[in-house]
Amino acid sequence: MTTPVHEIPVLEIKDLQVAFRAGKKLIPAVRGASLMVYPGQTVAIVGESGSGKSTTAHAVIDLLPGTGVITGGQILFEGRDIAGAKKSDILALRGSSIGLVPQDPMTNLNPLWRVGTQIKEALVANDIATGKDADRRVVELLEEAGLPDAESRARQFPHEFSGGMRQRALIAMGLAARPKLLIADEPTSALDVTVQKQILDHLDSLTDELGVAVLLITHDLGLAAERADHLVVMYKGQVVESGPAREILQDPRHPYTKRLVSSAPSLASQRLSSERARIQIKEQAVQTAAEIAEEVATHDDEFGEGQQTVVEAKGLTKDFVLRGGRPGSSTAFRAVDDVSFKLARGTTTAIVGESGSGKSTVARMVLGLLDATSGTVEFDGVDIMTLSSKKQQLALRRQMQPVFQNPYASLDPLYSIYRSIEEPLRTHHIGTDKERETRIRDLLDKVSLPAAVMRRFPNELSGGQRQRVAIARALALEPEVVILDEAVSALDVLVQAQILNLLNDLQAELGLSYLFITHDLAVVRQIADNVLVMQNGKVVETSTVSTVFDSPREEYTRRLLDAIPGGSIPLAT
Amino acid sequence: MPESYKLPPPGQERFLAPIDETPLEETGTLDTSSPPESQWKEAWKDLRRNWLFWVSAAMILLVLVVVIAPGLFTDLDPNRADLSKSLDPSSSGHIAGYDKQGYDVFARMIYGARASVLVGLLTTILVVVLGIATGAVAGFYGGWLDSLISRVADVFFAIPLLLGALVMLSVINNRFPDRGEFGAIIAVVTALGLFGWPQITRIARGQVLQVKNMEFIDAARAIGATKRSNLLRHVIPNSLPPVIVTATVSLGIYIVAEATLSFLGIGLPFGVVSWGNDISAAQNQIRSGQRIGVLFWPAGALAFTALGFILLGDAVSDALNPKRRSE
Amino acid sequence: MWWYIGRRALQAIPVVLGATLLIYAMVFLLPGDPIKALFGEKPVNETIRASIEAQYHLDDPFIWQWLQYLGGAVTGDFGLTYSQRPVSDVIGQAFPVTLKLSIMALIIESVLGIAAGFYAGLRKGKLFDSTMLVVSLVVIAIPIFVFGFLMQLIFGVKLGWAPITVGGDASIQNLLLPAIVLALVSFAYILRLTRTSVTDNLSADHVRTARAKGLSDRSVNSRHVLRNSMIPVVTYLGADLGTLMTGAIVTEGIFNVPGLGNEAFRAINRNEGSTVVSIVTLMVLVYVVMSLLIDLLYAWLDPRIRYA
Repeated sequence: MTTPVHEIPVLEIKDLQVAFRAGKKLIPAVRGASLMVYPGQTVAIVGESGSGKSTTAHAVIDLLPGTGVITGGQILFEGRDIAGAKKSDILALRGSSIGLVPQDPMTNLNPLWRVGTQIKEALVANDIATGKDADRRVVELLEEAGLPDAESRARQFPHEFSGGMRQRALIAMGLAARPKLLIADEPTSALDVTVQKQILDHLDSLTDELGVAVLLITHDLGLAAERADHLVVMYKGQVVESGPAREILQDPRHPYTKRLVSSAPSLASQRLSSERARIQIKEQAVQTAAEIAEEVATHDDEFGEGQQTVVEAKGLTKDFVLRGGRPGSSTAFRAVDDVSFKLARGTTTAIVGESGSGKSTVARMVLGLLDATSGTVEFDGVDIMTLSSKKQQLALRRQMQPVFQNPYASLDPLYSIYRSIEEPLRTHHIGTDKERETRIRDLLDKVSLPAAVMRRFPNELSGGQRQRVAIARALALEPEVVILDEAVSALDVLVQAQILNLLNDLQAELGLSYLFITHDLAVVRQIADNVLVMQNGKVVETSTVSTVFDSPREEYTRRLLDAIPGGSIPLAT
Repeated sequence: MPESYKLPPPGQERFLAPIDETPLEETGTLDTSSPPESQWKEAWKDLRRNWLFWVSAAMILLVLVVVIAPGLFTDLDPNRADLSKSLDPSSSGHIAGYDKQGYDVFARMIYGARASVLVGLLTTILVVVLGIATGAVAGFYGGWLDSLISRVADVFFAIPLLLGALVMLSVINNRFPDRGEFGAIIAVVTALGLFGWPQITRIARGQVLQVKNMEFIDAARAIGATKRSNLLRHVIPNSLPPVIVTATVSLGIYIVAEATLSFLGIGLPFGVVSWGNDISAAQNQIRSGQRIGVLFWPAGALAFTALGFILLGDAVSDALNPKRRSE
Repeated sequence: MWWYIGRRALQAIPVVLGATLLIYAMVFLLPGDPIKALFGEKPVNETIRASIEAQYHLDDPFIWQWLQYLGGAVTGDFGLTYSQRPVSDVIGQAFPVTLKLSIMALIIESVLGIAAGFYAGLRKGKLFDSTMLVVSLVVIAIPIFVFGFLMQLIFGVKLGWAPITVGGDASIQNLLLPAIVLALVSFAYILRLTRTSVTDNLSADHVRTARAKGLSDRSVNSRHVLRNSMIPVVTYLGADLGTLMTGAIVTEGIFNVPGLGNEAFRAINRNEGSTVVSIVTLMVLVYVVMSLLIDLLYAWLDPRIRYA
């Protein structure tokens, strides 16, 4: 990030209005957005889903989807208004003056063409090079983007690349014609956090070197603050606040920005306040849980023995057999390798890892949805794999319930909310119809949803609301343990914060014990007491949350911490 | 990260939008203004807005009325032939005239609806029941059951619909020459159904494979529901949409197929009043160019009916798949 | 890729076995006299009866019957027709004609179907698109033989542009009209399939990225939209061969084309079941082999399988 020279901005958006056609109506998506990008500068647009940030970016090079249309405002590129420009003018600008690095590396490359060919297209279309010259240049560009072994990689197809590699190829493609402005639309949000950091660091140095201005679109405030000079905060199609990045973070003025700053898990302010809050929650939860343990210990008909450790995993291992292309070439893939941990009553243990770490597989084994190859899982002193009778298995199910990641897939779309929450009660033959209805109302109240939600269907609710329903359903059987498998990962930051608060409150009130699976180490601070860091199926480090954050022992843990976007920015408080 | 703090360039100073112009909305408000709407209800609403749905529904309704109450449309007897009137053009009371044998063309067109529609309907029911049962079981339970069902389906699928029906019918017709009208319909339905079910099986299996990996199935398992209960209560209902679309279109296609079989002489026997038979009998009219109306009345009715179902299938497909709207 | 090919070829074998078994079982397993099953009320003289019994080995256990029959089919021995000509002779003469007709139909339906579908998809919602949709639906709803008669009437009888029947001279010119009729239904399906594929691809992420690079609309459409839309069409063509062969029976019958379909048509009319079974068996074998080849073509076209 070099200090910008004061000349004309390379991009100036003035009061832009974009709408989408739905039948005969025009639904506004961007309502009067204005911003500026100076040569060589990095400007970030931050917003949640529905904020209009991506739409604004795509409107710049006239890449709105078919139903999108610019209804007002100006887009000035180097002083010239291109908002209503002719097709041929826009084509001339694309690639050579304004480049794009799109969001999802898995869908943005044509699977039928070689990667090198696709990058060559950018060179040819913008009259940079042709033929053998272009081929050479492609290899250079790929190397520049940080792709090892570029010459042979250029001849490969996208499906032979990993996600990170594909993103690098997309970066090479965006910068191929040396544009003056690069629009980077959430360029790394689909990648693991360590890979994310590598690629963004690389992109930063590359754009600095080439003097390319960057318009960075992101939902992550910490990332934006870390990488940009100037921040633009968008909410529901409008710019609510903008200014120098540090200032916004340290002194947010708009209520929305304030919420963002206080909710963003990665930011420093979260560390101190959330740690204090967590300690209080934990105290209360442990107390309530101990009372429950008493109950269980003294009653014979309750499942379990009422111990302090409510879940214990010993030496859990899971091997998958991958069938190769040819018969007899199947390989055994060890997804989970000798994982052990204890979950104490009333506390939260987080399992953190990137993709392929095996964390979800562990969760499914603990839940009993997947058989372990070896190792045991004990629930309150009872080995769950030796349960024989149907009755015992059902009893176990009542004590341990899941909440899954995808709010759009965790509820049966054909069931009303009432029916979805009623299902566990029905399966276990609990209560009469009237009693069930009372219980469901009570549960909805606990998760702060109005009772009117009962008659609705999942497609009528937002992601956050659906996740609340999923939590209500998980609590229907009054379990002691809730297993949250990336339960907040698919939610917007503000909604995420709300759900985490809800989970904390419920834990304190009901004495629940949580097993919290996540890839996001930053969130862990708000909700967990103990952490297990996993990599490639093995446990890399186990300790309390504060130890992991303040004095991590292992190299990998340090890398994970380091990669948290915006984790190192000092804030006012 | 820049250490020293420099003044921001013009246009990038601190900006704050007026709060009253950018109000914060409550996250997670529930729209209680309209009644609850499940996915099916949403699809139905979409369907209602599609004019093609209404057109096709009207067409099908008309055909169904003809099938159930042919007497409403004509009081002539389709089985009565008057050779002296052979190939007479239209006259009062006989708007379509007579065919070669002296049958009234219009009456035969009206009464012909029953056999054709019955074949289409029964075949579709057979194929859907068989297809969903086998496809769902294969996709859900996997393993050897899946392999077995898939292999069997592959074998039947390898024989094109009409070729298989052709061989089967030529054999059945020879073995049971006195099967009567109902027997003939059953024969055609069986022959078509036998080679038509693999298509539905594949579709059902494909859907089931997708649905069974969704998280609400895991949630149901975690609650303690049995696998079978999951299959019946969650997986199959969610796998129905593509099956419904294909079944609706197939209905129209089976009606056309029956006509082709009758044309080849191995569909419904000539004693049964059917569009296929009438079209087939009217071949010579085309060759000579005379009184081609004799062919076009039954052919038109057939096309009308088949088109109705295929249009309906298209409309249903759009309603169940809003991203693919063709407007 | 070679393992994919090998696996598919291996999979095709039980399908062939199963399909021929099925056909054979339909005829010979149902209760009653198999000769009656094949010929109905037609008088069957001793020579024919003897040849059928020999061809189908009716005295042997069923499985052995079937295997010998299969062996015969694979080596080209299909027994005799009702008029005591070797079926293999009939096939030898008639098959090339049907092949010619089918290839012509295939070319017509693919070229027209893909082109029309492509333009309809590009101009979705506009006049051409809506017209094509209606046309395709109407074509599917009308039985092929009606089209056959119609075309015969208009182009043969009324306009005199094409021979009403083909008879002995199966030249490309004469086969044109029957080929068009044969291609009609498949054309409709290919049009719709291409159109859906094109509209899906037009809104695909990678197409937007291609535009962002600065490619002209023409480049984007040909290199990224059309190319990607071809994949499902190729898959469909494999299944389409079955439709073509069935359609050939009807079309060749109507236009009196001296091909295999016509032989089958006449055999059906004359209730000569043995010939029908033989021809259908051959058609099924051809179909399975051709769909396997199309499958392999698909594997070659899709780099995800070719370079797995």
